[in-house]
Amino acid sequence: MAKGAKLDFNQDVQPILAANCFACHGPDPEMRKAGLRLDLGESAFKKRPGHPDAIVPGHPEQSELIKRIESTDSHHLMPQSPQGEAKPMKAADIAVLKEWIKEGAVYRPHWAFDKPVKAQAPAIAEAAGRGNRPNNPIDAFILARLNKEGLKPSPEADKATLIRRVTLDLTGLLPTPVEVWAFENDKSPQAYEHLVDGLLARPSYGEDRARYWLDYARYADTYGLHYDNSRDIWPYRDYVIRSFNTNKPFDQFAMEQIAGDLMPAKNLDPLIASGYVRLGVSSNEGGTIPEELRVNIARERAEAYGATFMGLTVGCAVCHDHKYDPTSQKDFYALTAFFNNIQEKPFNNDRPVWEPMARIPRPENQDSYNRVWARRSELAQRVRAVRLQERDLVGKWLASRQSLPQGVSPDKLLLRLRLDEGGGDVLKNSAPHPQQASFPIGKSKPQWGETTWLWPDFRMETSTRIQLGQTGDFEAGQGFSSGGWFMMRSAPNYSTYNESGSLLSKMDSTQHNRGWDISLEHGILYVDLVNEGPKELVVHKSADEKEPEPKKVKEAFQFPTPTDLTAKDLAPNKPKPKKEAEKKPEEKKAKKDDKPAEPKPPLDTTPLVAIRVSALDPLPLDGKWRHIFFTYDGSGKAAGVRLYVNGAPVATRVMSDTLGQATIKTQVPMLLGMRSPQENPARETRYQDIRFYGRAVTAEETRRLPFEDYVAEVAGKPAGQWSDDEWHVVSQFYFDSIDKEARDLEQQIAGLDAQLDKLSEGGDLTMVSWERPSIAYAHVLTRGIYTARTERVEANTPHFLPPLPAGMPHDRLALAKWTVSADNPLTARVTVNRMWSEVFGAGLVETTEDFGIMGQRPSNPELLDWLAVEFSESGWNIKHMYKLMVMSAAYRQSAKTTPQLVVKDPKNLLLARGPRFRMDGETLRDVALQSSGLLVAKIGGPSVKPYQPPSVWEQVGIGGSDTLVYEQQKGDALYRRSMYTYWKRMAMMPDMDAFDAPMRDVVCTRRQRTDTPLQALVTMNDVQWVEAARALAQRVIKEGGKQPEQRIDLMSEILLAHDPPPQMAAVLEGSIAQMEKHYAADPKDAARLLDVGEKKSDAAIPAPELAAWTMVASEMLNLDETLNK
Amino acid sequence: MKQHPLCTDTEQASHVMDMAIPAEMKREWATLQTRRHFLGRSGKVLGWAAMASLLGGRALKGDTHGPAYGQQGAPGADQLKLPQFAPKAKRAIYLFMSGGPSQVDLWDYKPGLAALYDKDIPDSVRGAQQLTGMTAGQARFPIAPSHWAFKRYGQTGTFVSDLLPYTGRIADDLAIIKSTNTEAINHEPAIMLMNTGNMNAGKPCLGSWLAYGLGSMNDNLPTFMVLQTKLNTHENNQPVSSRLWSSGFLSSEYAGVGLRSAGDPVLYLTDPDGVDREVRRNMLDAVNEINRQTYRELGDPETNARISQYEMAYRMQTSVPELADLSKEPKSTWDLYGPDAKEPGTFAYNCLMARRLAERGVRFTQIYKRGWDMHDNVTVTLPIICGEVDRACYALVTDLKQRGLLDDTLVVWAGEFGRTVYSQGGLTPDNYGRDHHPRCYTTWMTGGGVRTGITYGETDEYSYNVVKDPVTVRDFNATLLHCLGIDHNKLSYNFQGLDQKLTGPTPASVVQGLLA
Repeated sequence: MAKGAKLDFNQDVQPILAANCFACHGPDPEMRKAGLRLDLGESAFKKRPGHPDAIVPGHPEQSELIKRIESTDSHHLMPQSPQGEAKPMKAADIAVLKEWIKEGAVYRPHWAFDKPVKAQAPAIAEAAGRGNRPNNPIDAFILARLNKEGLKPSPEADKATLIRRVTLDLTGLLPTPVEVWAFENDKSPQAYEHLVDGLLARPSYGEDRARYWLDYARYADTYGLHYDNSRDIWPYRDYVIRSFNTNKPFDQFAMEQIAGDLMPAKNLDPLIASGYVRLGVSSNEGGTIPEELRVNIARERAEAYGATFMGLTVGCAVCHDHKYDPTSQKDFYALTAFFNNIQEKPFNNDRPVWEPMARIPRPENQDSYNRVWARRSELAQRVRAVRLQERDLVGKWLASRQSLPQGVSPDKLLLRLRLDEGGGDVLKNSAPHPQQASFPIGKSKPQWGETTWLWPDFRMETSTRIQLGQTGDFEAGQGFSSGGWFMMRSAPNYSTYNESGSLLSKMDSTQHNRGWDISLEHGILYVDLVNEGPKELVVHKSADEKEPEPKKVKEAFQFPTPTDLTAKDLAPNKPKPKKEAEKKPEEKKAKKDDKPAEPKPPLDTTPLVAIRVSALDPLPLDGKWRHIFFTYDGSGKAAGVRLYVNGAPVATRVMSDTLGQATIKTQVPMLLGMRSPQENPARETRYQDIRFYGRAVTAEETRRLPFEDYVAEVAGKPAGQWSDDEWHVVSQFYFDSIDKEARDLEQQIAGLDAQLDKLSEGGDLTMVSWERPSIAYAHVLTRGIYTARTERVEANTPHFLPPLPAGMPHDRLALAKWTVSADNPLTARVTVNRMWSEVFGAGLVETTEDFGIMGQRPSNPELLDWLAVEFSESGWNIKHMYKLMVMSAAYRQSAKTTPQLVVKDPKNLLLARGPRFRMDGETLRDVALQSSGLLVAKIGGPSVKPYQPPSVWEQVGIGGSDTLVYEQQKGDALYRRSMYTYWKRMAMMPDMDAFDAPMRDVVCTRRQRTDTPLQALVTMNDVQWVEAARALAQRVIKEGGKQPEQRIDLMSEILLAHDPPPQMAAVLEGSIAQMEKHYAADPKDAARLLDVGEKKSDAAIPAPELAAWTMVASEMLNLDETLNK
Repeated sequence: MKQHPLCTDTEQASHVMDMAIPAEMKREWATLQTRRHFLGRSGKVLGWAAMASLLGGRALKGDTHGPAYGQQGAPGADQLKLPQFAPKAKRAIYLFMSGGPSQVDLWDYKPGLAALYDKDIPDSVRGAQQLTGMTAGQARFPIAPSHWAFKRYGQTGTFVSDLLPYTGRIADDLAIIKSTNTEAINHEPAIMLMNTGNMNAGKPCLGSWLAYGLGSMNDNLPTFMVLQTKLNTHENNQPVSSRLWSSGFLSSEYAGVGLRSAGDPVLYLTDPDGVDREVRRNMLDAVNEINRQTYRELGDPETNARISQYEMAYRMQTSVPELADLSKEPKSTWDLYGPDAKEPGTFAYNCLMARRLAERGVRFTQIYKRGWDMHDNVTVTLPIICGEVDRACYALVTDLKQRGLLDDTLVVWAGEFGRTVYSQGGLTPDNYGRDHHPRCYTTWMTGGGVRTGITYGETDEYSYNVVKDPVTVRDFNATLLHCLGIDHNKLSYNFQGLDQKLTGPTPASVVQGLLA
């Protein structure tokens, strides 16, 4: 603590309080002990009855806090671990707290939550620089800090070091010897700046920036769980490269990724960018519980967003309020809600692309496509604008008394199960004259409120049994009608074949199925009115009369997913099934033993006396709500039965018409979701507004049943009393049925959608985001358990940060705008800090992912804020920021260090010397490929599979996975930049793994940097590296000249950008002599070494010579200097 | 600065380079950088402990570096973080039975079930339990009694299934836990929970925690090694993932290193064709010499680290092949492990390898055996998998015991959950299937720190619910750590502002009844 200087709460005090006190006296009320909260001034000074004052400003000696941390009684001593063990504080920290209280115990808001302010750059006397004049304001801040620490900056590095460093930092590649020569000979004062400008303009700049971004975005080529199948989303990677290369402003770049699907667009880029949201892990494991997966996916997205855009560990609030940061549990779930409202099923069906997805037009169609797309986007924005006025428009509509919603007459409505109870033991019958006013729910409870439709929904579990008494006890001669809203199960590996079961039924299976029901069989709707019939209600036909095969349902895709996709489009990477002949004998046998044949039950030959009517087509398996309803006129004829889906009649066929006036009355109760209590219920189906009318409801009434009837009911109440859900239903109805402009627009859009499908034919698919029209919300989950839903929360940003922009719906677009809004204190800071860390090796805030209370304090807060403000003021100009950083004198310093400096600042956070650290795995491999001339400089496209040791995938994978077997590619694929290497999450590329590349199954904004022997094994022995060494050797033999010295010089120039100093040259010359001798004596070994890798070696060079030079090249590739930037 | 007399927390300790210790020691520290990494220690967190052992205890005694050193108030050995108390086990071998072995067919003997064949399991037993998506739609839950008889073994008279005749012979050496239970119901989350203490990805596994906390006991081999068992075509091979041996938020040097049965035993270990040991040595000498020049020029301690890193790699290149060379194993070994052990990649081979790793001071070895996920066809598949595992488990424990290694080696046998007593799919007199069952499953442990010859915990007559002494995954892991001398509450790492632990934030307890 410097004498005389006042303490800074954020810098000096809060870290101590946070580390020692907040676990029990912080923001989390559940953990709070003795009612004492120390993270906020107002609560820290509050009187607590029966407790002495924790902090008495100005008087440390009277403050209980100080007494406790200084206590010698171990029971009294603070802080204590959760197990009640005393964990005494450091004396220095105690002194700081005492001094702070003495100075008045002033609290300040956490630094990162205050808007950054651009401070005047400190004026630095030139002397401080020792010829190291500040180049830009960065240096002024750095030098001021070094002065304070009594440190001096280092002189500028030599030109060779500089060009190598900056070329690696801006392009991830080495400068060529020609470039080095040109730079060294450019004596103009702008030489370095010209160099930097040139580098920023190279395509490899965008690739290298993208490489970092892919960690932040958790990009990978497989979906990460169970089968860990391929996920084809490389167009997103191409988008990232493109964006950096065109220097897309960061605000635009960020917004497109968070909410590109909701933004106006002239081409597909924003939509492709929105694939960002969907990059996290996903699953299709058979037993997975849909709700659990849905919750986990939204959670992962919120955590990834939190780390990358906010620099906050919001995930800590999954189970409880954050212990240190003000992030409450409610804040966390409100944040997940933004990511929870995408038109998607939780399961991926083991596909490499799953809905929603977009198809990228082939280049020849791109222009026409973009024209249509721009038009569509314009219309969609107009729809959005119209919808934004929903409150006004709906108000006007209702006030106009024109085309008001009409209810359906409640005449003979005997049963209405709204299923909106949200809990409890009984279901209410809200029909006007019910036979029975309520029905008990059995002991197995349903699930309430997982999702919402007209209102928060109701889902039957397997064991839920709902009995509805004698409500539907009708005769064949009486008309009746029944149905309601249903959403069929969404589950992995689920097909229409499984979609079977009764929806509503009053049928006695012990009396040859007497009664009636409406059911699904393999996705096809059936209505049965039965006097008697066989067990399965089939009509037995003679052998030659075959039952027509039920139509296979084509998957119903919805925009932006093209509607014409085939199964093959959706599973392009599926492994070929093993041919029977290729199987091992034991495999065949195992199959045979698999299932013992079960004896067939005897045929039930009861004749069918019944009306049996079925739909022609199965319902699509899309996880959508459908209103399903049938009416019967009491005629005893099949023609008297009508079937409706979403209010519209559907084509049916008559399977049986033999009922006449035979009785269908039974004593068994009416059942929801099953035919008999012993039977499978229509599994995990959701239900709403189930009705039974004791009359034949007309077609016109049925049209109004799905929405209009309910809208009329809501409209009967003053709008001020409507809930959000009610508003949603009414406005949906209004825009779909009443508002002419909205309907016209939607119609035009539908026309364009068809054109877009056509224009994108044959293009590549990529996953994107696509917002649902419903309200984005989530539930606070007790301890993070997906079934423990408590409070329902609307999508929102954390309460301690500025609010969302007013007047727009709380959706991802609002979040995107907020993320880059002028009031947001975090985004710019967090982003420039990561840039800084890429270039300097550590962020100004070391914990790039945590700007919260427990994160590191900025090593140079004024500099960080200056950079953050500069970034947004520059129009979020990314290249501008990198240029500023690499132009600084701090960056250009020599990396030479002294033992004193290593002790004083081991991590080089203060930058008294230039940055020097081991490069990332990708860069190392790229450098090896580039220096040897093997690198294929193609940008973008699908991932490639270069060399990989055998059985890295096979030993972890599951049979049937499309990433079980690694099939190494040939040719160019072996030599592309490493950012294009296939990234399998469950079995990482081992060469990247060795160099600390993350698995990308969770977000990573900061790689570790270790040195392990496994790395040395990669760079010495990996085929890729051995082949590169040989190619490099070949290159210097051909280009370097005859003399060993010349060749060594060239190799050094290529890899290190300078000629070898004499000592080093001596070692290498000694080495080549030794190696040549060895391989001359053993030409067989030489030949074997030259045979490594797919590329043939140059036969014109004698094998022993090339082998010897290969080893010297390998030596040089393994030098510390080569591996470091 | 002076440490408070009651302070046992070295977590906040400053970096070694910041400490007021003699410059010579710092230099030594710097040159040992890589060794430190490799041994699973970092300067910041366990600085003193690591330094103490690297420098042969000199640092602690403070007798070789003059008075200045002694006055710095360095913590004494008794204040060091790990191990927190005298460990019973120095190392551990974890036999992970991936897929969920059927407790009711192997260990949890329920003779009363025979009479209940094809009867529905009572609702009162099943309760409102969440089922997997696979049996959630079943109309009936018919009881499938085990197809196999059980016999009593050893002095303890422990019942073990006829499927495990060899393991039965060591029943007296085991602590069999019938009351293990988990919260996860599907493989991925359950395996992750067992291995990392958390159902979601991103957390370090047990082996990484041990590598981080205890460091290495040898100079030539990794601290934590992973062995995968070759697949068997009969198996329903639920996948495993490298995240199971990842170090999560701990430094990646603590991740498990695979010891492979095909190709290089350690990835990239073998020198390329045409490069013999002499060439490699010469190459390294040249590299090291130039690196030394670089160090003199730039003074970056990482350069010294690089030199040690390459030397360590060179030593591994020698020691790993020696490890994998079984030609010197005596006949008695093969008599014990059986012929399977000669075939690289079998479970028996891996068990033998685990013993060799234990002998060579590898701290933690985890063997993965997949194939226990039997949703159908149990009577055909289970004997095959048991046949691969049974004798090898017996051999490993017996071998360790004969060599005196069992006293300080912890051996654990566990899967991620058990299986349902009711049949999944059709039940016939000859066959049945079993779904995932998280509420109870059987695991065993033996060796250092374990009270052997006991059965711990009880299940109800349906092997469905735990009725006595439940052991959660948290408790299970806390107990394993205890055997290795670690208080699970203290083996923590501050990440994202929280003291992260293997056992997570929910309280866990060491199962005292399992301790010797």
